[in-house]
Parts: sequence; C-alpha cells; structure tokens
Amino acid sequence: MSRGSTSPLKASFMRRFIARNAPAYAFLTPWLLGFFLLALGPILASLYLSFTRYDMVNAPKWVGLANYEYMFTRDRRFWKALNVTFTYVALAVPARLIMALGVAMLLDKGLRTIGLYRAIFYLPSLLGASIAIAILWRQLFAADGVVNAVLGYFGIQGAAWITNPDTSLYTLVVLAMWQFGSPMLIFLAGLRGIPKDLYEAAEIDGTPKWRQFTRITLPLLAPVIFFNLVLQTIEAFKTFSSAFIISNGTGAPADSLLFYTVYLFNEAFKFFRMGYASALAWVLLIIIAIFTAISFLTSKYWVHYENERD
Amino acid sequence: MELTRRRLLGAVGAGVAASALSAVPAKAATRIRHYWWGNPERDKRTFAVIETFQKANAGIEVSGETIGWGDYWTKMATQTAGRNMADLVQMDYRYLFEYVRRGALKPLDEYVGKSLMIKDFDQGPIAGGMVDGKLYALNIGSNSQVIVHNTRVFKEAGVDVDLINWTWDDFARACEQITAKSDGKVKGSDDLSLMIETFESWVRQNGREFYGADGKVAATVDDVASYWQMWANLRKKDVVRSKDKTVILDPPIAESGVAVGDTAMSHYWSNQLVGIQAVAKDKIGAAMVPHKKGGKPGQFIKPSMFMSLSRDTKDPESAIKYMNAWVTDPAITKILGLERGIPASKAVRDALAPGLNETEKLSVAYFDAIQSKVGALPLPAPKGAGEVRDAFMRIGTSVVLDRAKVKDAAEQFIADASDIVERAQ
Amino acid sequence: MTLAHEMEEAARVAHELRVKRDQRARMGRLLKHLFLISVSIVMLYPLLWLLASSLKPENDIFGSLTLWPTEFQWHNYVDGWHGLPVSFTTFYINSTIVTVLSVIGNLISCSFAAYAFARLQFTGRTFLFGLMMMTLMIPYHVVLIPQYVQFLRLGWVDTYLPLVVPRFLASDAFFIFLMVQFFRQLPRELDEAAMIDGCSPFKIYWAIILPLSLPALGTAAIFSLIWTWEDFLAPLIYLNDIKSYTVPLALRLFLDQEGQSSYGQMFAMSVLSLVPVVIAFIMFQKLIVRGIATSGMK
Repeated sequence: MSRGSTSPLKASFMRRFIARNAPAYAFLTPWLLGFFLLALGPILASLYLSFTRYDMVNAPKWVGLANYEYMFTRDRRFWKALNVTFTYVALAVPARLIMALGVAMLLDKGLRTIGLYRAIFYLPSLLGASIAIAILWRQLFAADGVVNAVLGYFGIQGAAWITNPDTSLYTLVVLAMWQFGSPMLIFLAGLRGIPKDLYEAAEIDGTPKWRQFTRITLPLLAPVIFFNLVLQTIEAFKTFSSAFIISNGTGAPADSLLFYTVYLFNEAFKFFRMGYASALAWVLLIIIAIFTAISFLTSKYWVHYENERD
Repeated sequence: MELTRRRLLGAVGAGVAASALSAVPAKAATRIRHYWWGNPERDKRTFAVIETFQKANAGIEVSGETIGWGDYWTKMATQTAGRNMADLVQMDYRYLFEYVRRGALKPLDEYVGKSLMIKDFDQGPIAGGMVDGKLYALNIGSNSQVIVHNTRVFKEAGVDVDLINWTWDDFARACEQITAKSDGKVKGSDDLSLMIETFESWVRQNGREFYGADGKVAATVDDVASYWQMWANLRKKDVVRSKDKTVILDPPIAESGVAVGDTAMSHYWSNQLVGIQAVAKDKIGAAMVPHKKGGKPGQFIKPSMFMSLSRDTKDPESAIKYMNAWVTDPAITKILGLERGIPASKAVRDALAPGLNETEKLSVAYFDAIQSKVGALPLPAPKGAGEVRDAFMRIGTSVVLDRAKVKDAAEQFIADASDIVERAQ
Repeated sequence: MTLAHEMEEAARVAHELRVKRDQRARMGRLLKHLFLISVSIVMLYPLLWLLASSLKPENDIFGSLTLWPTEFQWHNYVDGWHGLPVSFTTFYINSTIVTVLSVIGNLISCSFAAYAFARLQFTGRTFLFGLMMMTLMIPYHVVLIPQYVQFLRLGWVDTYLPLVVPRFLASDAFFIFLMVQFFRQLPRELDEAAMIDGCSPFKIYWAIILPLSLPALGTAAIFSLIWTWEDFLAPLIYLNDIKSYTVPLALRLFLDQEGQSSYGQMFAMSVLSLVPVVIAFIMFQKLIVRGIATSGMK
C-alpha cells in the first residue's frame, strides 16, 4: 500500500467517528459542562482532603493515609455507624419497595378515586424530614405515645420505642416504609407504560392473575424495579435528614441512630475534622459503588430492555 | 415608538432578572455583615438595631444575616472555610474556644478604650471573652445556670427551702416531696444525668476544674461516678423524669419537663427564662444549681452570647463602630433589652430596669441574688470540648438505661474524654 | 318445550353466574376500598397532626396527645405570615422563582443526557455513565465546602445562581438515570423507522421519545418540583440576605432550640408551604395519566 491511500482512509474513519459520536455528545453537552466544570472539581477536592487534616479554618495539612488508618484500626464509632447503616439498608429498602410496588399495583387498575388515593399516599413523603416529623415521631413512639395507646387497646404493653437503643432504629424503618411515595410514583409511571392489550389477551387466554403478574408485569416493569432498587439502596446508605433530625443531630440514644452520614456530618461540622469526614465519605462511596456495580452486573439476567431485545 | 417599547421591555426584563438573580443590594460607602443565630423575637430586635444604626451612620450599610441555632454553625463553618465569614459573628461560649484556637477570630484589644468603649463595664463578664490573655469576644449578655421550677407545684407540695442556698440533699428531698404530693403525676425534676453543664458545677464543688490549666481533663472518675450515682438513686426512688425522656439529647426547651408539665424542675440558662415561660402553663421560678454541703461554689456567671470580629473582615473600623454602638448606644441597648442576656454595663442595666416585664424582672432578681454565691469563670476549654460533651451524653445514656455500671461508665468517659482532647490538639 | 325450558334454564344459570361475578367484583372493589381507606388514615395522620398543632396554643403542642385543640388559634396563620422581619409573600416569590427555573432546567438538560445514554451509541458511553452514577453516591456534605469555595470564586454566593445554574447542566443524576430507564423501554423500531424517514436525532428525541415518555417526564417534574421546593441545605449555604430566603429556610427562623420559639406559627406556615406542592402534584399527576392514552396507541 502506498502512503497516499491511508490518509483519506484515516480521514474517512475520522469523519465516520465524528458522525457517529457527534449527535450523542451534542445531547450530552449540558451534562458534560456541568460535570467537568462544576461537579468534578469539588469531588476531586474531597478526595484530596481525605488525605489531609483539615479543620476548615487553616489550610489542609497532608497526612497520607492516617485518616484511613485511624478509621479502620481505632475508630469504634465508625464500625458502629457501619453497623447501623447496613442494618437499616437491609430492612428499609425491601420493606419500602414491596410497600410501594404493592400499593402502586392496587392503584394502577380500576378505581375511579385513584387520583385521590395517590395524593394521600404521597403526603407523608411531602413532609420529608421536617422538624414537624421529628416532633411527631418522638410523640408517636414515646412510652406514653400514640402507638402504645393504640397497642393498649389490643392489650399489648408497648415499649419506649424511640428511646430504647434496641428499637429506635426500627422506628426509622417504619418512617421509611411510611414515606414510600416516590418509589410508588415511579412504579406507577412504569405500570402505565405496560400496554393494556397484553393483559386483555392474557385474560382471553384465561391466564390466572398471578401468572399475569409474573409473566407480564414483572418482566416489563424490570427496568423500573431495577431503577428503584439501585436508587433506594443508594439513598438508604446516604440516609441523613430523618436520623439527624429525630436524634437532634447526635445519633442518640446510645449511638443507635448513628447513621454513617450523621457521623460524617458531626465529624466535619461539629468536630472540625473535614479531612477525616472526607475519608469517611470516600469509604462510603466505595461501599455504595460496589453494591451498585453488583446490581448492574446481575441486572443482565433479569432486566431486559425493549430497545435491546432481538 | 417601537424602539422605545422594546428598550423599555428590555430594561424591565433586565430589572426583573437582576432582582431575581442577585440578592446583593446596591453598594453603600462601606458594607459590613453581621451574622447571628436567632428566633423571631431576636431577629425583629436585631433588624431594628441595624436600622437605627444605619440612620445614625449614613456611610455604613449593615447586612443582617440570620438563621436558627441548629443550622448556624454549619453555615458558619462553610463560610469560614471559604474565607468569607461575616465581619461580625455571634459566638457562643461552647464554640468560642474552637474558633479562637484555630485562628478564625481577631483580638479586640487594640480597639478597647479607643473605639470600643467598654472600660467602665463589669470586668467579670468582659473577661469571659478572653482567651490566652487576649480579648476575642465582646460579651453582649451574661447568663448563668438556673434550675427552673414550677412555682404552683412547689407551693402545693410545700417545698419552702431557700432556693439560692440549697444543697443536693435539699434537692433530693424536694423531688421526693413533690412526687409524693402529686401521686407521681408530677415528678420532682428532670433527670440531669446527661447535662454536662451541671456536672461541671459538680466537679467544681468538689474543688476541681473540668479542664485543668494544661488544657487536659482534670475531672476524676470519682467525680463522674458520684454524679451519675446520685441520679441513679433518684431514679430508683422514681422521683425524676422517666429515662425515656432523659435520653433524648438536646431536646428543644418546649419538650422539657417544666414546659410539658410532667416535672417540677428543669435545668436551663437564665436568659432562657422568657422562652420557657412562653411554653409553660404555670408561673416559673428560678433556683440555683444545688450546692454541695461544705463544698466550693460550682456555678458561675458566663457570657451567654458574644459578638466577635472575624479574621475575614475588610473594614474593622466600621465593624467596631457597630459593635460599640451595640453595647453603649442607649437607643440600641433599649431595643435589645435583656433578650440576649444581662448586659455587662451597669449604665445600660439601670436604664433598662424600669421597663422590664415580670419574667425579665425574675431573671434580674435571680442574677442579683447569685452574685455572691458563684465561683470564678472556668479556664477556657481546649479544642475538642464539644466532642467531650457529646461523649458525656452518649456514655451517660447507657448508665441511665441501666446498660452499664456507673463505675465502668465513669472510667470509660474519663478515658474517652482524654483521648478526644488529645486527638483534637 | 324441553328446549325452551333448557334455554330458560341456561339463561337463568348464566344470569346467576353474572350476578355472582358482579357481586364478587363488587366485593373485591369494596375490600380494596376498605383497605385503601384504612391505609389512608394512617397516611393522613401526620398531616392532621400538623394541622392540629398549627391551631393549638403553644403549650398544648407538646403536652397532649389529643388532636383537637383546646382553643383554636387561627391567628397563627396571620401572625406567622407576618411573623418574621420579611413577610412570607417574599419567601413564596423567591421559592417560586428557584423552583420553576430548576424544574425547567432539570427537565431539559436531564432528558437530553438521558436520550444520549439510552438511545444513542457513542464512544465512552459506559465510562461516562459510570461517572454520572458516581455523582449520586458521594455524600453531599463533603463536597459542600469545595463547592462553596468554587461558587464564591465565581461571585455567585448570595445569588440564586448556585441553586439554579447546575440544574440547567443536568447536575441531578437521579433524573438522568430515571429517564434513561424509561427511554430504554421504548421499542427500537420507532427510531429506526424515523431514521429511515430521514429524521434527525433531535427530531426523534422531540417528536417520538418525549411524547411517548410523558409518565416519566411527569414523574421527574413532580419530584424535581417537590425536592427543590423543600430543599434546605443549598439555600442555607448560598443565601445570606433574609430577603432572598426561600420558604424552608424561613421556616427555620421560627425555631430556637435554645430559646424562644414560635411553634404554632411555624406549623401554620408549614401547612401553607405544602399547599403549592400539593396543587402542583395534582396538576402533574394528569401528565402521568395522559401518558396511558399515548402509549396505548403504539
């Protein structure tokens, strides 16, 4: 081959490369700008800070791996926080998702008043983690609170749920279940995308309801289930506001509500250890990333997308 | 015609955009920022002060910035990190040392007597703003601990002990009396096991400081154990608030026993009397922290709030001018009243005296009564004191909940506290 | 005779069956409603509590479990509205500006990015997608300070720019990922057919993908609106002037844990702050419902 002929080939390859990628990158431009100009810098800065001692008043001082070493070898509260957070994730995520999916399916079909219910079921999520919720929760789950008053009717002697370190975490799981509004809404939007004629055909064939659920609903809803699973897991690992506000920022009683991010926040803003807090953040990031990666890898086996089906 | 309309629309559009996107008002000759934590009442007074000050000082524009206590420190830390602190920041005794020791505040000594006219103020309260021999914070109100009590319940139970000179034994007896008289409906007191401020008085009554002159923890395991044991005994007699309420840390004052009505006594600071009275059903009274029989004075008078000059200030002269007006200008001190605490200037106190309401009178009377009974101000706390406070509450919780033996927990606390202080240096 | 009889009999049986089926269906619906109503009561309790607390005298909020106020304090609403140095009218205007801009920004920029990730092939897709997911995972509090410093250098502190501009640059990966999941569900033949007809990628995005994704867009709009309206941390950090405060920030001005608070007024204003969100919720909900009609056509 002569030298002259490779050049146009290369050029045409370039042309095709650009033609292939240009539209996508055009659509990605806002995100790329945002990511590289606004988001990436602070993320890298926090990575750098995790190797420093930084009290936010004076310039950060490089300490190498000292923060990470302290965390894994000497910090009892770090392990405590991990324990609390993992327990919460394991309980709250499935509970909330099942609740949300169940109610979404009930609401999806047949009822004329569905809009009203949908609004009502979303209301608790609107209250978010406001101060009102903190006060309400302490009143509900106190020894002399509403929950125990209701249990009393059935002859059950309730405990001081929220101030007993053995049970306080469960009151937050209940809160998570009760604020199932956003996954429910996403499930509903997903259910709306499933063509109704599929169910009609199944009905004519006499397919029983539960098989319609496993054969039609679940597979077609898989991408949305996957989304909710991944996002709820990430959110649960990062749970902050509810735990912070209900424990008045301390993780009390006896560190039973010491969620990872509550601990991190206190280290950073209360105890002036932003460097250490950054190290904590990166450890959490890696934990979350592992979980997310596993979700994505296994999703190949149970999530199939319409536009990638042959 | 067409052109003018378009130009007009453009101008209006730009105006809307500017007012929408930029909250910075037009520049005055100089602009200083004042940042404080507040509540509706305090905010109203402070903005009125700013207006009064600006009227008298045309060249200086003061930007008032406020938010509630809980969020105040997060924002403050962020601004500090960005080297964008307000010129003047409100400081709390608990945080003052953290900020001074890290170098975020400027000393005020060079202005004292020149533009900051505080020479004739009570020196005790002013000294509360000194760290390592320099004045870093101006006292804008003093307070002291107070055992707030429900006067109706006290009367009904026939508690007639001298509430200024009483001892811990008197306190325990009062708790029993009150609980018995009300058939347990109203307990004697909140359980103060987790209140490190009261514990600090306890340590001083034993003749020690919590932090020694070297900045290390000087309180002993015995101090801690005896304190927690005393409360354990009261819990056993069932004359203090239930432990479920006790282990809620830092609850808002509206949830305290005296406010809710299930106990007759709670621990607070004297400048909070007005706030507690606002949420309590009965008339409240003020008592000192009980004394130790034959012990040293434990309680002390401290600044409730400070105003400090930040290292990021660009116009210290104007900032000090504003600061000075705050504590000396009669028009301004009148607006402020006792809301932030008792002023350190006798002249100001005298001027305010005639206009006080009942609860304010109570706090002034209380203040006068304790003057001779209190000890000296403790030495400035080391870095990490905030974390020690958290550890006290955390470890104390396991004692209150019967999950740890008093002695073991006390040992753990002293060990943890020493570690924390060491790590923070 | 027998035939007629048999036919009559068959009709009778058929009728009975139909009645039974209808009865069962009605029973089913009734049970469903009963279930939903009882769940609704649990769901509504906090709102009722909030409403009750906003009308109670201050010292009644914490002391008693009964919802019914001993004395109705309607004035909390009026007093609360004017209870701060700046009236809530200003706070509502501020919140509305920030929220409207954020929702628009989110919908445009995130649907752009999601379209690229979900429907277009390009070099570096997996890598960039991973980066995007990473922004979801990092705890917000540790990037707070670097971000603050960054916006400070740009001179954006004390303006709404730090709250709004990132939204136009698809800063919220949640919405990108959400839309990606929905966009991927649409049949590929749609784009292929359109491509053959000579449609540009933008045309496909605009005329095919978006109209078919109304439920997803409606969901994203609702969330974006609610979360911006309720956002507290970013306004806390970036807004200094009380005149520029948003509603959630203003609500925090009522409380002083250590001193005098106005709980009644705070609760009253909290109730009012829910009103715009609920209205918006009901409005956007229609978008989700309308989605059925469109997707039914394909």
